[in-house]
Amino acid sequence: MSQYAFSFDVSRCSGCMACVVACQDQNDFVADETVAFRHVTKYEEGECPSARISYFSLACQQCGDAPCIIVCPAGAISRRQEDGTVLVDRDLCVGCHSCELACPFGAPKFPEDGKMAKCDLCVTRRENGMKPACVRVCPAQALDVGPIEELSKKKAEKASIAILKSLIFVSPKEL
Amino acid sequence: MSREILVKAKIPGAETGIEVKKTICLICGAQCGIDAYVKDGSLVKVEGTAENPVSRGTLCSKGASSRQWINNPERVHTPLLRTGPRGSGRFMPISWDEAFERIASGLTKIKEESGPESVVFFTGYPKWYRPFLKRLAHSFGSPNYFTESGTCFLATVMANHLTYGTTLWPDLKETKCILNWCRNAPYSQAPGYATYLNAASRGVKLIDVGPLSTTLSAQADIHLRLRPGTSGALALGLAHVIIEENLYDREFVENWTLGFEEYRSYVQGFPPKTTEEITGVPAETIVKAARLYASSESASIVQSPSVTVHHTNGIQNHRAITALIGLTGNFDRKGGNRVIPESYYHTPTGLKSREAEFEQSRPWEEMAPRVGQDRYPLWCSMMDEAQATALPFQIQSGKPYPIRAMLGFAVNYRMWPGSDFMKEGLEKLDFFVDTDLFMTDTAKLADIVLPSCSSFERRQLTMYSPRYAVWTEPVIPPVGESRSDVDIILDLARRLIPHDSLLLQGQEACLDWIFEPSGIKMDDIKKHPAGCFLENLPPIPYEKYRTSGFPTPSGKMEFTSLVLKNAGIDPLPVYREPAQSPLSTPDLAKEYPLILTTGARLPMFMHSRMYRVPWARNLRRDPMVDINPRDARARGIPPEGWVMLATPRESIRVKANITEFVPPGVVNMYHGFPSADANTLIDPDYRDPISGYPGFKSLLCQVIKIQDNGGNK
Ligand code: SF4
Ligand code: SF4
Repeated sequence: MSQYAFSFDVSRCSGCMACVVACQDQNDFVADETVAFRHVTKYEEGECPSARISYFSLACQQCGDAPCIIVCPAGAISRRQEDGTVLVDRDLCVGCHSCELACPFGAPKFPEDGKMAKCDLCVTRRENGMKPACVRVCPAQALDVGPIEELSKKKAEKASIAILKSLIFVSPKEL
Repeated sequence: MSREILVKAKIPGAETGIEVKKTICLICGAQCGIDAYVKDGSLVKVEGTAENPVSRGTLCSKGASSRQWINNPERVHTPLLRTGPRGSGRFMPISWDEAFERIASGLTKIKEESGPESVVFFTGYPKWYRPFLKRLAHSFGSPNYFTESGTCFLATVMANHLTYGTTLWPDLKETKCILNWCRNAPYSQAPGYATYLNAASRGVKLIDVGPLSTTLSAQADIHLRLRPGTSGALALGLAHVIIEENLYDREFVENWTLGFEEYRSYVQGFPPKTTEEITGVPAETIVKAARLYASSESASIVQSPSVTVHHTNGIQNHRAITALIGLTGNFDRKGGNRVIPESYYHTPTGLKSREAEFEQSRPWEEMAPRVGQDRYPLWCSMMDEAQATALPFQIQSGKPYPIRAMLGFAVNYRMWPGSDFMKEGLEKLDFFVDTDLFMTDTAKLADIVLPSCSSFERRQLTMYSPRYAVWTEPVIPPVGESRSDVDIILDLARRLIPHDSLLLQGQEACLDWIFEPSGIKMDDIKKHPAGCFLENLPPIPYEKYRTSGFPTPSGKMEFTSLVLKNAGIDPLPVYREPAQSPLSTPDLAKEYPLILTTGARLPMFMHSRMYRVPWARNLRRDPMVDINPRDARARGIPPEGWVMLATPRESIRVKANITEFVPPGVVNMYHGFPSADANTLIDPDYRDPISGYPGFKSLLCQVIKIQDNGGNK
């Protein structure tokens, strides 16, 4: 099994929240307008002139050792064999909110019917060759999805190229 | 996979009955491609169109909210006739025929009594139908065609025409250095933001200018965080370094410019230390930025469409900024700022078109003087429309002639500085027709409201730079009896100007006529539902001035504008303090010590358009003023506490958004909130005397904590 996950590039995210709305549009969160499986948080550090503002777009992390699976008394949460996605069987959910208490990321949501709903990495869309709605919409291309090994490889390559570029820039003259 | 699962995930295909149809989002001017997921005639979801070269399959939070924008309870379903007092919102539905008859007879009567110029034609957003409306106005005989661009983009055009005789577009694909001047692309046109990020990862240097701390300024190699309204001084300060250190392009300056010696001696007054005192940007940062911009192999200035001209010295500030392009020889050079002929509402495509000819169906000389021509003669002589900011004054004064009726499309009185003054103007009209998707506060003032439809419900041509075109057909049936703006204009034309045989041939025929010089036919574009590149057209060369000179009076780039000189205005891009500032009005600043800047974008709003859309509105429910933690602390304001934002003119009640997004001493208020309208804070006459543009982005204010914070939702 290959564990699938989101990747997020904090240097690209502008906090525009298109990912939040795309998630609501995909999942028909129209009744309770505040529900979305993705949450964007702003963080400010320091004071002018050296203040930095950054944003983090977070959804279910599809944890390897998922606390929600462990605590669910109804056995409603399970891991999908093919890609490691953590899924909820809403027919089994009793609406006890234990998963919500256990989850460090605030991923389990409780729409109007009182049963848990959470991000499933848009599993059906992926099965049909599409990216999750939030990944597709992101104008900054800050989000991606894929097997963890592939995502890490991409990140490692990106970082290495950035380092190499700065080395090349200084090396001929200054080194 | 079961059908139920596929339907729930909205997977298109025969099994689910969901079809993907191509359209565009026109909530803002980025015109992102939309894949509309349609099932049984209704929209079930939207996604970006991957083939679209501008948006590349992405959308912003506004475009992603399209479903709630289109299926919105505030949509107008039928033509409406006002039955209650103005503003009461009491209307009764009437048929389209009756509406057209009433409008035609109402406007004709006023034309006969007071002349065609007493009927004005106004359009807010969007822009796609504008050539049709302008032609309608002029064929009707009225010179008074106005657009919202009369307070937005056109002053930058004017500034560039004064110096260069043309507009300038950044060559982002080729450049080695981007000088981004007061433009928060991730919020204003999000899908374009990736262009910057991708440039940066190619090693392109980024210099960001602006008072706000944005994602772009965080990414920039250098951020010049200036005080609002001081762009001109900063640009002159950069020029000072560039000239002192001999980093300017001698060949270009010697052969292709006018007035360099005067300019050089004027910028002597802006050494780095002085520039620091004016702008607040540290002297060493100014020097560093000047060196980087001027010594890069090529550099492009990215201009904001409005930020730099929304000051009382806006035109000259903007001229000072873009003078750097010629100074460093980056004019129309590869990787610099290019001259690309525009077509179809200012899209730089380089296509030959007869758009201006189409719009100007009657020459200016055959019509009365335009509104604003007395106060802003230069603006009116350079721009092909009347000056919208002068309109409320002429409605009130009746001088030089009365204004009695408005045929409006998407009018929003909150666009005007001192918006209540414009509202009074609309209330004073004998006859006001507004066309809109929604029952807005402005539509409530109208005698007749016509329902227009969204881009999803109509057919239209959309053009992009570089040379990409899409023809879209409706992807869903129109909401109620709403109709396309162009169809509304054409039906009115049939009644008002039956002699205009070209206009009456219809949308496609008119567009074919406009683009005939490039040989582009709508039928060919229609063959590609997601759009197509317009192939086989000659490439746009660089450095065209070497053969054709500059379309200015001197035939050169003018550091000293002859047009300004002849108008008795300082020909150099001189710097003047904002009419209200801590330096220009120190006494006022004692009582109103904070600089107020308004109109900067938020990602979920586009002017006033998204307030009624829950997905967007939920991302920011209340009107909020951005205030630096230092200023909030000094006033004892708690996070999200209610405050009064006050100017000498007015005050509004808003929440404090305590954030380093704004520097100390500056507060930023988003405009157009129905319950807290920032434009009421600004005097209707707080303007740039050259363009008539409002000084929306630099004036003085105070923020006062409201003691009782409880229960004020
Ligand atoms: S859509 Fe992308 S850029 Fe916008 S908030 Fe989400 S992750 Fe960030
Ligand atoms: S940037 Fe957003 S609002 Fe503008 S056209 Fe694109 S999706 Fe629509």
